[in-house]
Amino acid sequence: MSEMWINMGPQHPMTHGLWNLRVKIDGEMILDVDPELGYLHRGIEKISEDRHYNEIITLMDRCCYVAGIAWEHLYILAAEEALHIEPPERARFIRVLCEEMQRIASHIMWYAAFVQDVGLMTPFLYGMRDRDLVLDLFQSFTGGRLTYEYMRVGGVRNDLPSAFPAQCRKVLDWLMEKFREYDQLCLGSAIFHKRCDNLGVLKAGDCVDLGVTGPMLRSAGVRRDLRKDRPYAVYDQLEFDVAHAETSDVTGRYLVRMEELRQSVRIVRQVLDWLDRNPGPVLAANLPRWMGAPYAPVGREGYLLKRKYAKGVGLSAIEEPHGEAAAYVVNEGGEHPYRVKFRSPVLINISAAKNYLVGYRVADIPPIMGSVDICVGECDR
Amino acid sequence: MPTEDLATRLRAAAPETTATVEPLPGTDGRLRFPPDQALAVFRACQGVLGYRHLSMVGGIDWVDHREVFYLVWSDETRRYLMLSSDLPLPAPHIESATAVWPSANYHERETWEMVGIGFDHHPDLRHLLMPDGYQFNPLLRSFKLHEPEELEVKVRHV
Repeated sequence: MSEMWINMGPQHPMTHGLWNLRVKIDGEMILDVDPELGYLHRGIEKISEDRHYNEIITLMDRCCYVAGIAWEHLYILAAEEALHIEPPERARFIRVLCEEMQRIASHIMWYAAFVQDVGLMTPFLYGMRDRDLVLDLFQSFTGGRLTYEYMRVGGVRNDLPSAFPAQCRKVLDWLMEKFREYDQLCLGSAIFHKRCDNLGVLKAGDCVDLGVTGPMLRSAGVRRDLRKDRPYAVYDQLEFDVAHAETSDVTGRYLVRMEELRQSVRIVRQVLDWLDRNPGPVLAANLPRWMGAPYAPVGREGYLLKRKYAKGVGLSAIEEPHGEAAAYVVNEGGEHPYRVKFRSPVLINISAAKNYLVGYRVADIPPIMGSVDICVGECDR
Repeated sequence: MPTEDLATRLRAAAPETTATVEPLPGTDGRLRFPPDQALAVFRACQGVLGYRHLSMVGGIDWVDHREVFYLVWSDETRRYLMLSSDLPLPAPHIESATAVWPSANYHERETWEMVGIGFDHHPDLRHLLMPDGYQFNPLLRSFKLHEPEELEVKVRHV
């Protein structure tokens, strides 16, 4: 049969976002692939050069639409380092709480979308139902369900409501019970194994060479997790295990994410206990809670942009739900950052597509690309 | 790894380099090297020094030159190292790191189209996020975003 290129995307059930996977096929066999990106490029790095430090937080939520608050955390860590600001301890714990809750929401979203790629409809509905509970929790203290705008340079906007810990523990108990059901639905299904085992294999050495990070890397047996290896915020005070698998295939990535869900629940519980014992401020003194208009109101001395900060650079890296995300903020003493650079884990995981797709069949593309967990928002920025 | 130690080990691995190491918080340091020694520095960092993972590549448009930086990670010491090089205008270019870190491919494509830094011997240097044939480098300081007052679009009714 003759070879030909086909486009899977930009609108295709496989893509989960706006991007195009060009595939060279011979019959059913994949010979070559070429990801085509940029459909969702909004120039967030460029716009950031024209925004005050707090205003960039708004952009971060739009950066990744399933893990917005994790990107807020990433940016805030770099910005605070660049501006030489220390947040209160309680704010650090609340941020970790946010990041782990976001990881739960993001992984459940991934689960729901991925199992649908494999052909199972029921788990999709289960996943969306349970993700809503986490979003409800977010709504109770940020007011948002998708774009939160909750973190601030020097802390977070507001403390948690008094009813939050009890509600959160209730949801965590529910989720732990449901995670068992998730596994029964998938791992107990012969269809799931037929469609996922030994598929999309990317071995540890290739993962490291190609820069692949996150659950894809850990499913190949490399236990790199920035929360353990380079503890940021308060992760060094929390107990959790790094989820990993040895199979390097789609099933391995599923197992890693499911274990990460359980570990995230474990972390959130510890953080809730800590927050119960340690009340205190959540924002450093003299820093504004509000996001800010382009021009500061006269007389608002506490306004962040009215101050002059010493020059500095900030580098942060977090274990985002999709993998290793990094931010580099250059502060040249002005009101805006001189340069902001983000590393998107999804972009690099997609860049290795040739290495885990070639040699498989066209029908294998949805489960394999589904197991990568693609968020085009952060990929294109 | 202390910065002096890193400089010594780099000089032992690649004697011809004149790279210097300065401290950068939260990392092993920032290693500055002249652009013509790029490949030797990359090889030494990836090989003997053990920074196997390239995390990101980016460019900064300074007033009188452009800077390219690489963030690399070592699984052994579990630390980052930043490499950076100042490239002279008007045609800033540097050797591609793809021969040493294959993951540099997309990073360099992005840096090339956004900051206008050329990467010599890159296997596939074409647009990544921008459409093919795009003429500008959006992350240069000379590429202006609209001023707030200009955002007011005057609608002309026909």
